[in-house]
Amino acid sequence: MEGIGALQGVRVIDFTWVVAGPCCTAILADQGAEVIKVERRPVTAIQQAYMRQRFDFMGNLSRNKYSVGLNMADARGLEVIKRLISISDVVIENFSSRVMPNWGLDYENMTKINPDIIYVSMAGMGHTGPLKDYVTYGPTLQALSGFNLLTGFPERGPVGNSYSYADMAGGYTGAMAVLLALRHKRKTGRGQYVDLAQFEGTCALIGTPFLNYTVNGTIPQRLGNQSLNAPAACHNVYRCQGEDRWCVISVFSDAEWDAFGNVLGNPSWVKEARFATLANRIANAGELDRLVEEWTIERSPEEVMELMQGAGVAAGVVQNGEDIVARDPQLQARGYWIEGTTAEGEKGSYVGIPFKLSENPGRLRRLAPLLGEQNSHVFGELLGMSELEVAKYTEEGVFFSGLDSSDEPEL
Amino acid sequence: MTQEAGQDSVLAGCRVLDFADEKGVLCAKLLGDMGADVIKVEPPGGDHTRGFGPFVDNVPHPERSLYFWHYNTSKRGVTLSIESTAGGDLLRKLVATADVLVESYPPGYLDSLGLGYQALHRLNPALIMTSITGFGQTGPRRDYKLSDIVGQALGGMMYVNGDPDSPPVCWAGLQAYHSASYYAAIGTMCALMARDLSGSGQHVDVSIEESVCSAVEHVNSAYLYPGRMPGPRDAGRIARRQGTLHWSAGFHNARAKDGYVLMSWFGDWDTLVAWLESEGMAADLTDPKYNTDPRLRADEAPHIFEVMAEWAATHTSQELVDGAQLRRIPFAYIRAPSELLAEHHLQERGFFHQVEHPELGRSVVYPGAPYKFNGTPWRISRRAPLIGEHNSEVYGKELGLSQDNLASLAEAGVI
Repeated sequence: MEGIGALQGVRVIDFTWVVAGPCCTAILADQGAEVIKVERRPVTAIQQAYMRQRFDFMGNLSRNKYSVGLNMADARGLEVIKRLISISDVVIENFSSRVMPNWGLDYENMTKINPDIIYVSMAGMGHTGPLKDYVTYGPTLQALSGFNLLTGFPERGPVGNSYSYADMAGGYTGAMAVLLALRHKRKTGRGQYVDLAQFEGTCALIGTPFLNYTVNGTIPQRLGNQSLNAPAACHNVYRCQGEDRWCVISVFSDAEWDAFGNVLGNPSWVKEARFATLANRIANAGELDRLVEEWTIERSPEEVMELMQGAGVAAGVVQNGEDIVARDPQLQARGYWIEGTTAEGEKGSYVGIPFKLSENPGRLRRLAPLLGEQNSHVFGELLGMSELEVAKYTEEGVFFSGLDSSDEPEL
Repeated sequence: MTQEAGQDSVLAGCRVLDFADEKGVLCAKLLGDMGADVIKVEPPGGDHTRGFGPFVDNVPHPERSLYFWHYNTSKRGVTLSIESTAGGDLLRKLVATADVLVESYPPGYLDSLGLGYQALHRLNPALIMTSITGFGQTGPRRDYKLSDIVGQALGGMMYVNGDPDSPPVCWAGLQAYHSASYYAAIGTMCALMARDLSGSGQHVDVSIEESVCSAVEHVNSAYLYPGRMPGPRDAGRIARRQGTLHWSAGFHNARAKDGYVLMSWFGDWDTLVAWLESEGMAADLTDPKYNTDPRLRADEAPHIFEVMAEWAATHTSQELVDGAQLRRIPFAYIRAPSELLAEHHLQERGFFHQVEHPELGRSVVYPGAPYKFNGTPWRISRRAPLIGEHNSEVYGKELGLSQDNLASLAEAGVI
């Protein structure tokens, strides 16, 4: 079975755009699903980014996918989409809730085209509820769900807005939803409709602070770098030698505390009563952190991590993008970065796959597509349209590929 | 044909043995809440995660850990000491009946007990073994220890969080563990799909560090693709801390009269400026330069948000959010999770679930489904198990061990 993807034979019509949706379908494409990305006119500014090259932010999300360009405003384009749906397993989108019904592609109508279709919608707020027409992006969901407010130091304001973690979570939550629906269809022959509100997916990741409120009435607070689950001290980020270089250290047990002390050469304060028990260490965490940082500031974060890990204490460099991509030996050794070369000889990398199936590993099967690159494969080979038909539709603007002057950036 | 609601669940009949600790405990919950028969296997006396707070009434108790409750819904529970010979035998009996085994032991540990993937695969070739570890089963750092904050640090979640003049700070919640657990569940589902065609199980090797690296959006991309990023012209090779400015430059926190609000200039620029201008607070945002060069907005975002912050401070959060959303601009309340309970949108969608805790004589409101399936709905089938709650049911009724046998195993500390 080597070389065959776990999702071989699964066909997905992919209407997703921006980040969360493409992140989801990339997970599926990496495992061998045939993901057909549908681009339509007018082409959004965000899509502009991936039309000219295969290695960039959007290209990373489009690897392993097919791309077709189709004018959905044209009745003939809509007809072709319906034919595609009739030979596919999954339709997935993350539009606001009015878009698909406007095309006559709500679930009920889709089942008339393909009774066993799996339809996954990933709208920000879902397709029902008083806020279903909210305009949402990752940051909006993080704000509404509690991630923004709860991230940061207690003595400073909330800072949970650096990037769209909710989009990445939307990606993996969506992939899980598709896989669950596929499994059910395999077993029973029946498709279904999954209304995935990314807002709810994000709320589900808040974790125990929610129960702490419903059971104990406790209002959650920002914890900075304190441990949320297992009591721990020291448990923080510590400044190291160099510009903006930091290491985190987390000590959970007395045995680890002893090991930690040994690494520091057992300065007298390590044995003092105020740090002798975990409870005491937590109570005096501020003072403890100050003392630890007097030690770390003299060392590189790599040295701190290696010394701590050598003694069995969980510690890690606060890595920046360059550390992660260019210098992390573990990621390199595991082949995490996916490398590819274009026909023209341009080399580039994609972000990797964090789980490895021993018999059917995910891998790079094709580079990110240019817009409409697989028009003739999809319309010709999959749908059986003749070359003449495809050419006619292309000339008349029903199909399109690449960029022309009518695609001016909007933003 | 449309699926009738309430018919059999997606993973009915799929047995999952869950040995995972905090690193991967969410994985089997994801499977259990969609109908899998999950058996949580704990050491005799209970898993160490029962010592994680918060606790009911803030009193530590192994059956009242809200951490354990949250992450172990829809699971039955048995105790087992896998280190003993009798324990290993019992595990093999369980494995023979299982489809999936999820674990988070240090790489090599199960092998040392003769219970590694190769051994279990010989015993049950259809078994899918999902291993969740800090750094994966291989590589120079495979024996490194990982806690959630270490995962967030190494994977890149932390470096970009916080103010430029403050230390880096981790994301709220155990997001390194959560990301890895989701990828583990995804990998498990893919292995189930592959097994449909091949009949064989396989090993799913999940690295928490890699899971974080796959969930940091722009951090790796900024370095991999310098100059080819959406957002400000000089997105920069190394993504850095920018306080509450989102990396796209399109979002920023602000203080309204009564709390924090997320502001944005995404959407129709002229509409936004007209709104501020109608209150005399648009400052120089009316300058046509913001329309002639659209990327200028990203470049000048700090200034734009400064102007907007001054205006926002004169309004309540409701005025701001309602006003913006009406204008199709993505503002939002920055709220605590405690306020979610009062959110009508979630109430109407049935997001909250009551779960019975008969041993405490109460029912508790839990957060609900990350996805709404119209045919095979997500549901919490039962509260988290008590210690060894299903020893009799699983070992006795299902595996056929006698009561005497169970008693002597318990006495010997095997279960």
